[in-house]
Amino acid sequence: MKFRAVMIDAGPMREFTNIVSTISKLSKECVARIADDQLYFIVSDENSGPAPPILWCEIPHAMFFSEYQMVGLDDDHKDIYLEFTSTNLARSLITLKNAKSLKMKLTKKQCPCLTLEIEVPSSTSQQTRQVTHDIPVKVIPRKLWSDFQEPKIPKPDISIQLPTLKQLRTTIDRMRTMAAEVMLWASAEGRLTLQIKTDTSKVSTRFKDLRVEAFEGPIEHSDSETETQANEDKSNICYCRVDAKKFSMFLSADQISHNRTVCSIVHKRLVVLCLQTEENVKLQCFITGIVY
Amino acid sequence: MKCHVPGPNVKVLGRTVHALARFGDELYVESLADCVLLRTLNAAESAYAVVKFSKNFFSYFNYNYYSTEDNEGLKCKISMKSALHTFKSPTHMDKQVENLEIKLDPESCKLIFQLRCKHGIVKTHFVSILDCKAMQAVYTKDLVPNRITSPHKILSEALSNFQSSDDQVTVEVSSQNMLLRNYIDTLADLSKVIRTQVTLKPAEFDGYTIGADTMITFTLKEFKALLAFAEALSLPIQIHFETTGRPVVFIVHNGSTFEAHFVLATSKADNASQITTQNTTHNERTKRKDVSSSNHSARKKPNLNTDISKCLEEDSHLFNFIHIPEEHPVAVSTDGNVGNNNPQIENNMDCDVILPSPTAKALIRRVFKRCFEQTIDLTNIQGTVLAEDSDPDT
Repeated sequence: MKFRAVMIDAGPMREFTNIVSTISKLSKECVARIADDQLYFIVSDENSGPAPPILWCEIPHAMFFSEYQMVGLDDDHKDIYLEFTSTNLARSLITLKNAKSLKMKLTKKQCPCLTLEIEVPSSTSQQTRQVTHDIPVKVIPRKLWSDFQEPKIPKPDISIQLPTLKQLRTTIDRMRTMAAEVMLWASAEGRLTLQIKTDTSKVSTRFKDLRVEAFEGPIEHSDSETETQANEDKSNICYCRVDAKKFSMFLSADQISHNRTVCSIVHKRLVVLCLQTEENVKLQCFITGIVY
Repeated sequence: MKCHVPGPNVKVLGRTVHALARFGDELYVESLADCVLLRTLNAAESAYAVVKFSKNFFSYFNYNYYSTEDNEGLKCKISMKSALHTFKSPTHMDKQVENLEIKLDPESCKLIFQLRCKHGIVKTHFVSILDCKAMQAVYTKDLVPNRITSPHKILSEALSNFQSSDDQVTVEVSSQNMLLRNYIDTLADLSKVIRTQVTLKPAEFDGYTIGADTMITFTLKEFKALLAFAEALSLPIQIHFETTGRPVVFIVHNGSTFEAHFVLATSKADNASQITTQNTTHNERTKRKDVSSSNHSARKKPNLNTDISKCLEEDSHLFNFIHIPEEHPVAVSTDGNVGNNNPQIENNMDCDVILPSPTAKALIRRVFKRCFEQTIDLTNIQGTVLAEDSDPDT
């Protein structure tokens, strides 16, 4: 098993730091899947044992690494799966923002380690200094690989573009102080509504004129929950109730410079938030709906 | 004693008190004929700091303000908390305070700080004197082989690479480079801690003289505090040190008005590579405040392992409550090393490899070692290595 990658451009290094630090905010543990074309970061739900991942991040290596070599176990098992503490990686990469180069490799030093070698320019002279971090990792055995496959999701009923994440985040964070769950409504007319209900109040925020990327209508509504939108055509609206904290966590990804964020909803069951960058990094977050 | 500190210098004094507060809980103030000394010692007696403010630092300095007889120096001990309270926010102090008056009356039980601020506000702090003793550590800074002068920025930048959970740092120096590593306990779970190593080139420093390649380990908390102090005053740091087990001295001074010495104990690593250096300091004199507690040279509590030699010149005639140094047989510190070979110096040029931290065996293992052995193995006692220590694939 071998892995070695080199990064020399400032832009990708900054992006990579942002991605890793976003992931470290979402979860304590993280799995890196090293494949020969992409690097994946996968986060599973910490509480519920082996479960489909809640975060799926794909980084095409060609855009980020100037050198990328990996050798897996054998021809049938080409990938490498590593588990590590995400904050360990994030904190080690803090100095990457003004670094000259980063070399990453898999090493065995008493325990398996992901070794980062960062070359940092000195602020006072022309010299560079070498910083080496050995981050302990756990190599995941083949029999557990199936836990870290890309989750298969049903075809979403609607895919709608999200407003700016920062705006969305301030809204959600306000709502989060009042209620633990937030209702997401999306209509085929390009309207996204966030709504919370407490014993004494109902708060909703509407975002209009959002681009609808796909709509698989009409939606069948059988329960009474849609009564509030009585004057609208119900079949154009789908909704899902999700945990406000999880939703807000994804929004911390706004530090990654992105060019497209899409929210896909499977009616009442699942919300998939997807963020894409110019470098073709895809960060997906899967939030299961809460059904009573 | 009565003295006046002008506004800009109040900030320096405030920074000093804040830096010293990171070291110890008590502040020793001492006034001599031509200077004022502030000292502190931490509870574990592994870190000591002394800052000397010369006469020029003050706009007015009268040593014999309360009495005309020439006594040997006024001294008092106050709690660090009350001193901190007086210098609450050193960043803004120079803007608000126009003048600070410090009065120390040998007959009184209070040390008086009077801050004259803008708009005619006068704040007076009466700080209780806890004791009339002074304290002094004896260490050497002039006769050491290794001296480094560093701009404050370089070291604080290097330290920013370490994790906040790291509490000790190992510095390895050779004439080619300087390596900083976070110290990892031999008992720590290696699958949980990040090992970090920063390589600095001598060209980054203002001065770099290494007489003897060595490796020292000391605490980060105090190191960071003194770096913050140097940074706040944008002054370079001089580092004077000898070898492991001997104190490292950090000096920050502005050349004319004040000079700060920060002395940190380095842990005594007892692996094989250290034996050679131990022998050269064979007539080492170890001193401790409490001789009976000589046991705490154990790994967790590094001692101020000091040497009788030239210290601050002014110190020599001070009241000194530290006992006169005891002689300790050096053989004690070199036992328990048998068969512990550590291939360190040879391959430290290879940046790929982060060497393990210098090991210092836990006391419990050394004392109760026999309990874990099934039989007495004579070959082991004679120093034959049957199984090599497992080392990283260097």
